[in-house]
Amino acid sequence: MSRVLITGAGPAGLTAAYELSKLGLRPTVLEADDQVGGLSRTVNYRGYRFDIGGHRFFSKVPLINELWEEILREDFLVRPRLSRIYYRERFFDYPLKAANALAGLGPVEAFLIGLSYTKARLFPHAEETNFEQWVSNRFGDRLYQIFFKTYTEKVWGIPCTEISADWAAQRIKNLSLREALRSALLGSKRGEDGEIITTLIDQFNYPRFGPGMMWERCKDLLAARGHETVEGVRVERVRHRHGRVECVYGRRATGELAEFGAEHFISTMPLRELIHALDPPPPDEVIAAANRLRYRDYLTVVLIVKREEVFPDNWIYIHAPEVKMGRIQNYKNWSPEMTPDPSRTSLGLEYFLWEKDEEWDWPRERLVKLGVQECVRIGIVEPSEVEDGTVVRMKKAYPVYDQNYHESLAIIRNYLESFSNLQTVGRNGLHRYNNQDHSMLTAVYAARNIVGEQNDVWAVNTEMEYHEAEATGRQGDRLTPTRVTAGAMAPDEAPDDLIDAVFAKLDPVALGVALSVVSGLTLFLASATLLFKGGKNVGLRLRLLGNYLIGFEMTWTGALIGAVEVGIGAFALGYLVAWGRNWLLAAYCYLVARRAEAKARRDLLDKV
Amino acid sequence: MSRAKKEAEELSRVVIRIHAGVLAVVCALIGGFGLFGMTLWLVVKGGARVGVHLQLLSNYFIGYSVTWTGSLIGFFYGALLGGVIGWIIGKIYNAVAGFRQK
Repeated sequence: MSRVLITGAGPAGLTAAYELSKLGLRPTVLEADDQVGGLSRTVNYRGYRFDIGGHRFFSKVPLINELWEEILREDFLVRPRLSRIYYRERFFDYPLKAANALAGLGPVEAFLIGLSYTKARLFPHAEETNFEQWVSNRFGDRLYQIFFKTYTEKVWGIPCTEISADWAAQRIKNLSLREALRSALLGSKRGEDGEIITTLIDQFNYPRFGPGMMWERCKDLLAARGHETVEGVRVERVRHRHGRVECVYGRRATGELAEFGAEHFISTMPLRELIHALDPPPPDEVIAAANRLRYRDYLTVVLIVKREEVFPDNWIYIHAPEVKMGRIQNYKNWSPEMTPDPSRTSLGLEYFLWEKDEEWDWPRERLVKLGVQECVRIGIVEPSEVEDGTVVRMKKAYPVYDQNYHESLAIIRNYLESFSNLQTVGRNGLHRYNNQDHSMLTAVYAARNIVGEQNDVWAVNTEMEYHEAEATGRQGDRLTPTRVTAGAMAPDEAPDDLIDAVFAKLDPVALGVALSVVSGLTLFLASATLLFKGGKNVGLRLRLLGNYLIGFEMTWTGALIGAVEVGIGAFALGYLVAWGRNWLLAAYCYLVARRAEAKARRDLLDKV
Repeated sequence: MSRAKKEAEELSRVVIRIHAGVLAVVCALIGGFGLFGMTLWLVVKGGARVGVHLQLLSNYFIGYSVTWTGSLIGFFYGALLGGVIGWIIGKIYNAVAGFRQK
């Protein structure tokens, strides 16, 4: 059995280990922290559990849903989603609802938003390289300023003009017109169990005791199979030779340096750290590229409030520029069991910072005081209600998509691909702002690559629907996974063919010619039959067509003239019918695509 | 280019091919039942001169008349003519569309 060393016990690392254990290999996981789960861990403070950022469990990837169910079994809760935006001392429903937004902003502002939207539609930014241009083109500049700019800049700490439009565009980029048409014609897509696949907008799954429960249980399952998860080991060196990683040196909490060898290595470490840990060091340009990668750090101030219910939302986006926090989580609304005392509420105030920011190093008391002040300022608690508080810091929580990241990432990726036994997975391992499910998927692929499959982990993108990619087998700007078997594709190809058949164009000329020939011939044969039969008043009634067909009469010449004229008329009719049908279907496709785009943008803020 | 745009382009390049046999059957049914229904309607309505104009079809359809029996004969002729027209339309359409796509 091959030994595999995995660095990082977050969702990606533990998923890789779990998959490897199922494949009969021997994984060992190293974790720098003293708790597993990474960004998806659940911290326990005096019995109050809290999540690092709020993790909704919803995936369009059946494989990942199966994994979650397999690990957690009956401890998955289905939770309703309620979230709002706080702005100008008001709360707005999110996703935005027209009536609610209108009532909150007032008719004058609503009118100005309408004007700004119209302007954006008529005169959009020609280029869409940054987030500001991308959002303004779709929502108008005014709506962007109100509902996107402040929050996005709080989260990322850089002006929206410096944020690449990549990840926002990804949602629309990957929308499938065929899928949208299929949904419009045949109803919502259903999962394997026949249930309609909904979206994160309405409801989501959540582990009873927070997301960390999933990963603690995964660790236990691994331990039961004899696979170790070593906590408190910080990787310092990754020794390699001749294009192969030989071993990893990690510093234990005791200060002791330990060596971990294996045949295969999977890293979920931030790419910058991995590149710096490589021994011997990589070429200068790779190190320079790694140094250019940026990460946003994250800090939560948790307040324990002496009130049974503070607000009904799972979370509130704080767009108000007068406070530093970006979002407030209400953990008991995620799961009632996140708080040990029903008469208390635990709130998580989320601050998005750089490690170099002065607030990052503030002591707990000062940060809790800041949190209380800001909550009072927006009017959700009184200072006397706050009974306790704590702080959790998470470094490198978000890989930053600035204007340079793409180029830097390409250099690093190219270099790392020269190692035959090293793969990087997960959010930080790929420097990709993936959700938990897609991070897990990269880990599954990496594990399967070790046993001979050839999956491209870099091809897993944020909005990918695995079953859909399997069904179409088509590859967009971002590649879909290569591991697709012909057998698996066949049953799902039919709907695509059906959509193609329904929306295929009628050839106007061909239809015109066909109708023209048949009509002309019919009239000619009808006239000819009567002419052959002869008699006194040949074709008395048929001759009445002469009222419409100039030159038509019951003679051989007249019959020919009539046939030509009817042929011309039928050609025009056939052409118009085909053209009209094509135009109507094209208009329908356009409308369906626009609706699908609007739907995809509905929860854009959730992706920020 | 977005996936939706690519798919829209793909869709716009797909041209319908008509299944001549199916179109023939559809037109045959329409023609057959059409003439059968029209004949029967006039027979049921009755009157002094039943279906003078429809009767003119007997110039083309040997044995056809506006009577109960004629309606059955009309069904046969209507279906035959409809079927032939449908089949020819299908064949010509496919030939022209195929030629234009080359």
